[in-house]
Amino acid sequence: MQVTGSLKGRSSRLIRSVNSLAGAAMFVAPLLALVAIWAIVVPLFNVNPRVFPPVAAVGAAALDSIRDGTLFAHVGASLLRVGLGTLIGIAAAVPLGIAMGVSPTVAAFLTPLFRFFSVLAGIAWIPIATLWFGYGFGAIVFVIFNAVFFVVAYNTLLGVRTIPHTLRNAAASLGAGRWALLTEVLLPGALPNIVTGIRTGLGFAWRGLIAAEMIATNVGLGYMLFVARDFYRTEVIVFGMIVIGVLWLLIDRLLLVPLERATIERWGMVRRA
Amino acid sequence: MKTLSLRNLGKTYFDPYAGAHVTAVHDVSLDVEPGEFISVVGPSGCGKTTILNMIAGFIPYSKGDILLDGKPVHGPGPERGVVFQSFALFPWKTVLDNVGFGPKMRGVPKAERDRIAREYLALAGLSHAAHRYPNELSGGMQQRVGVVRALANNPDVLLMDEPFASVDAQTRMTLQEELTRIWQERKPTVIFITHDVPEAVFLANRVVVLSKGRVLDEIAVDLPRPRVWDDLVKDDRFKQLSARVLQMVRAA
Repeated sequence: MQVTGSLKGRSSRLIRSVNSLAGAAMFVAPLLALVAIWAIVVPLFNVNPRVFPPVAAVGAAALDSIRDGTLFAHVGASLLRVGLGTLIGIAAAVPLGIAMGVSPTVAAFLTPLFRFFSVLAGIAWIPIATLWFGYGFGAIVFVIFNAVFFVVAYNTLLGVRTIPHTLRNAAASLGAGRWALLTEVLLPGALPNIVTGIRTGLGFAWRGLIAAEMIATNVGLGYMLFVARDFYRTEVIVFGMIVIGVLWLLIDRLLLVPLERATIERWGMVRRA
Repeated sequence: MKTLSLRNLGKTYFDPYAGAHVTAVHDVSLDVEPGEFISVVGPSGCGKTTILNMIAGFIPYSKGDILLDGKPVHGPGPERGVVFQSFALFPWKTVLDNVGFGPKMRGVPKAERDRIAREYLALAGLSHAAHRYPNELSGGMQQRVGVVRALANNPDVLLMDEPFASVDAQTRMTLQEELTRIWQERKPTVIFITHDVPEAVFLANRVVVLSKGRVLDEIAVDLPRPRVWDDLVKDDRFKQLSARVLQMVRAA
């Protein structure tokens, strides 16, 4: 039993990794096709590099920015802002979402506010954020926080509401007090939804970050793009765009998707959001 | 071990759909002795699940008293263990951690509560499933976990709310036999809610028949133990008792 079980596990893992390799190839193929078209079309029509750069120039811009370290400075600054804003957002949103999930009164009172502010979440806050925090780090982290906060809080609320009430009863009849109910039932029960919320929120945050960095700072990927425009450095702009897209895909595929899978599939939970 | 007493217990609630007050339980008095196995049967709407939920403390009662060893009980508590129809296992915990949950809430250290959990899993023949997650188990196995999770907490009273209603017929018979065996070994006080008359008679020392929120009658079940279906289906005494209870339930 044990042996066949683990063999079965191993072979299904093998099938899964072959599948994911095939999936990755399917994902990369159209992107490579796009690069190929780019490599053919730009020289063919002799496109002005001020309009769109040739592939080689973007490659050279990439090498330059790696060699002189500016790429790492920009990426580092952007990731730090996203990371910090996201962490603060999650830390504030999860307790609030749970409070809303547990108390219909709190939920009823806050829901209209949430509807209103989730429309505003993100870049609409940039002007006032720069007044409050000045240009730079604080204002951008605030924008990220905003993008993450509302989505995560709302998903936490959904997560708590999807926990069957019998599970709370079961915990209480086994001796769980308020704190144990929170840590043993509400948080783990809402976790799949919380992770989904973080994934969605980070998506908003990443877009908001680039926009905020164009306006409110002097380092970061958004700034890198915006400043290159002033010098008609299209190869730097395109390279920056590629970095932004690739970084997001890496964050999503390597961090968020596995996290989501780990909670939802392991526990056999159905995502209802 | 403590005596559980229901004194003139009643429950009235406001039904927003009917727009009126509904009395689910009129007036129920019942004494359950330590180590007794009581089945409560009755047609749908007789108030049996409401009574169980009041004893468990999941819903407040409107009149009367629920006394455990003479002391009134309010709200859920570990001295009243519950086995749910929907199993209510924590999907994010392994079987071992589900069963060890009650001891964990009492502050029992990890090694000791794992030992307790393993002991109870062995009792239900589930040792091999200790590190599985509930969704990896069949319904019958999940409810075995549900039963031993409640038992592992050593409750004074074990409340079972139609626990075998959602498993298939063969598994149900096996679970019933296992439950009588475990009861004989551990002698917990059990209140077992069901609408299945043979099940009620098979398991209990005493069957309480409910009708419209009142106790209609009580019947002592003096069948010898251990009880197994192969013997009891041929047993005249079992047939007589079942027929009597069934008659009452149908008349209720």
